[in-house]
Amino acid sequence: MSTVHNNRYDLAGIELSRLIKTAIVGKIIPMGNFRGGPGGRCLVVLALLHYLGYPVYRILAQYGHRLQILRRIAVKLRR
Amino acid sequence: MNFTTYYSLDSLIAAGKKEARDKEAISVDLFDTLLVRRIHDPDLVKLPVARYIAGLAAARGLKWSWRKVQSTRDTIEQGNRAATGQKFTDHEACYPLFMRELLEVIFQGGYDESLLERVTEYELTMENSMLVPRRKLVDWLKELAAEGKRIFVISDMYLPASHLEKLVAHAGVLDLIEAVVSSADTFLAKASGLAYPMIAEKYSVRPEAWLHIGDNPFSDGLRAFDAGLTAMIIHDPGEDQRKSITKRYYNYSDGRPFWRGRVLQQLMAPLEDENQPGTPLYTEGYNFIGPLIGIFIQRIAELCRKQNITKVFFLSREGWTFKKYWEKATPWLFPGDDLPETEYLYVSRMALAGASCAYQGLTQTNADIAFLPAGNRDFRDVCRIFSLKPERFAGHLADHGLAVDTCLSHVHDGYDPENRKKFELLLEDESFQAEVKRQTMDANRAMERYFDEAGLFSHKNVAIVDIGWLGTIQRFLFEAIAHRPDCPYCHGFLFGATRGIPYPESERNMIAGVMYDRNRFDLAASTLFYAQDIFEEACRAPHPTLNGYRLTEEGYELEFRKTDDAIGQAELHQDEYFAPLQQGIIDSAARFGAAAALLGYSFDDWKPWINYLLVSKLAFPRAAEVANIKNRHHLDDFHGSKKPKADFGRGLKPLWGQSQLQLKFNPLLRIRYFFRHLRGRINE
Repeated sequence: MSTVHNNRYDLAGIELSRLIKTAIVGKIIPMGNFRGGPGGRCLVVLALLHYLGYPVYRILAQYGHRLQILRRIAVKLRR
Repeated sequence: MNFTTYYSLDSLIAAGKKEARDKEAISVDLFDTLLVRRIHDPDLVKLPVARYIAGLAAARGLKWSWRKVQSTRDTIEQGNRAATGQKFTDHEACYPLFMRELLEVIFQGGYDESLLERVTEYELTMENSMLVPRRKLVDWLKELAAEGKRIFVISDMYLPASHLEKLVAHAGVLDLIEAVVSSADTFLAKASGLAYPMIAEKYSVRPEAWLHIGDNPFSDGLRAFDAGLTAMIIHDPGEDQRKSITKRYYNYSDGRPFWRGRVLQQLMAPLEDENQPGTPLYTEGYNFIGPLIGIFIQRIAELCRKQNITKVFFLSREGWTFKKYWEKATPWLFPGDDLPETEYLYVSRMALAGASCAYQGLTQTNADIAFLPAGNRDFRDVCRIFSLKPERFAGHLADHGLAVDTCLSHVHDGYDPENRKKFELLLEDESFQAEVKRQTMDANRAMERYFDEAGLFSHKNVAIVDIGWLGTIQRFLFEAIAHRPDCPYCHGFLFGATRGIPYPESERNMIAGVMYDRNRFDLAASTLFYAQDIFEEACRAPHPTLNGYRLTEEGYELEFRKTDDAIGQAELHQDEYFAPLQQGIIDSAARFGAAAALLGYSFDDWKPWINYLLVSKLAFPRAAEVANIKNRHHLDDFHGSKKPKADFGRGLKPLWGQSQLQLKFNPLLRIRYFFRHLRGRINE
């Protein structure tokens, strides 16, 4: 027994990991028209959110206000 | 901090139970506390409403794009908030006031109160479709109500309490609630803290005996504490994660069309209590086949509107699922629009094959179709398919040097091409054709009476919807009614058109594959060839196939296949096995409709995702998926029982027919099959 929507907020049977595999194979052999496909950056961000999202948001929820300094550093680095 | 924040609902409820012991009243924030949203941004609900209003305006000849409607709504709402801010501390707005103003601006003199009612109804329905009650919180509120606590729902929202009550009713707790309080009614909000003393005074609640639960640390936490209440705040990282994921899918879909189908499925996904453990087949129905059918149905509805089709006939037996899906999804997709009527039409290739011969006789092409399945060998099989009595053709066959058992199919032993030429000459024999017409006339008359009753001849343009694949049913159907002066324009829509035999298209008889059509090169969608039967079995109605139409004195009678033989029993077993899959498909329908309506995309937007789903699930399936989804039995009455030559079909074992051992441990199996498939499509 499984749920349609799993605890990583991914969809059972069409998980992101499967999409990543298909996207990689699709780089090697023609698989059809995906109109530009998923895009590597999108896949990386979504993989982080699906697989590591909970611990990150757990820390942010509890200690987010104390991590403002890190955010400021990140903003500076982006500049 | 003067309030406590909890990072899971369980810890909040556990602490809340202790806190609530000496409290008289408990109030709960509505949005993101009692109800969670499927979407990350509540304002997205306004977009389908804008499209709905633009549609209403267009129906009255007013040119308003939905974007203009939305920007006008935003402007009016902001104006209302600014006006409120001059008299009150909170800058609140009230939905009936600004929506009435918006509709008056758009419809001018054509505005009436029923318009506001319709728009409000639609907005609340859309809101409800995107809201899910948090089961654990609802259960706790029920416990509190049973203990005699007074329960309030408080919200800072532009919808007045009378509207919010409908959303609370959706959560199933309206009967537990003493009052729903909205800032839209009094313009006193939690944000300024003025709502709390107002509620305390109006409902005679002592602040020290009042526990408030919400998600906003400022308005639900600090302000509540300042008003003397005990406040508890929920900050669920799981919800943050879910919304962040949805937000990414939504944002990516804007620039990359590939993600449009994925965000649709993310919004369709069941949450909280909806997300109950089920069998893998249920999941496949909900996550794989359901959305495909939804997109197919949406496309048909779009084409019907474009081509002025006034009635849709869903052909048995797959049409049973299509029609159910249509009924659940299209009210969301096309609200307020006059969609075509729908009808489930009892037909089958076997039932229509005979009836198609009543006026045109047995044509060469139809005879060729009869010999397509390898199980059909001789004239006896032709008679079985076209409901003819073989013994009455003995003379005709003898005149052409044939017998009922003469082999006419090249895939069987004993085949002589000369016999096939003799058979073709037989088809040109007028007396043979006269006998064919005589034998099939009653079936045709009975069929016409049934079709007449179903309304097929009362419309100029009708849609004929079927699963696929060659379009044989529509071919026979049209041939059976083509002689009538009131024969409608038949627009055939197939889930997949694999074709094979050229279809006799004409102005009155058109056919097209929606998800896949062999007439256009579409590599990804052509993977339907891998496992066509699973779509047929997944959508099949739970009734036996139709054998024919019988003419009676009163009119007609539908003759169904009996289910007491081995094949009938196998089909029942298949129905039982696929019941969870079908349930998953049907359960996905309303959520598909709501999510697709919210996103506002159409078929072309979903297509890249459809292509991915088909390639991924059909050409590169997991071994467990093949084991689960593959149909156990598949009835094909058209297919005879004769055994073809021993070497026929050798080396053609499909991927979905491979053993679990091969599927699990042969790493290049799928790639090898995919290259073979690719070669086949290119060579076509």
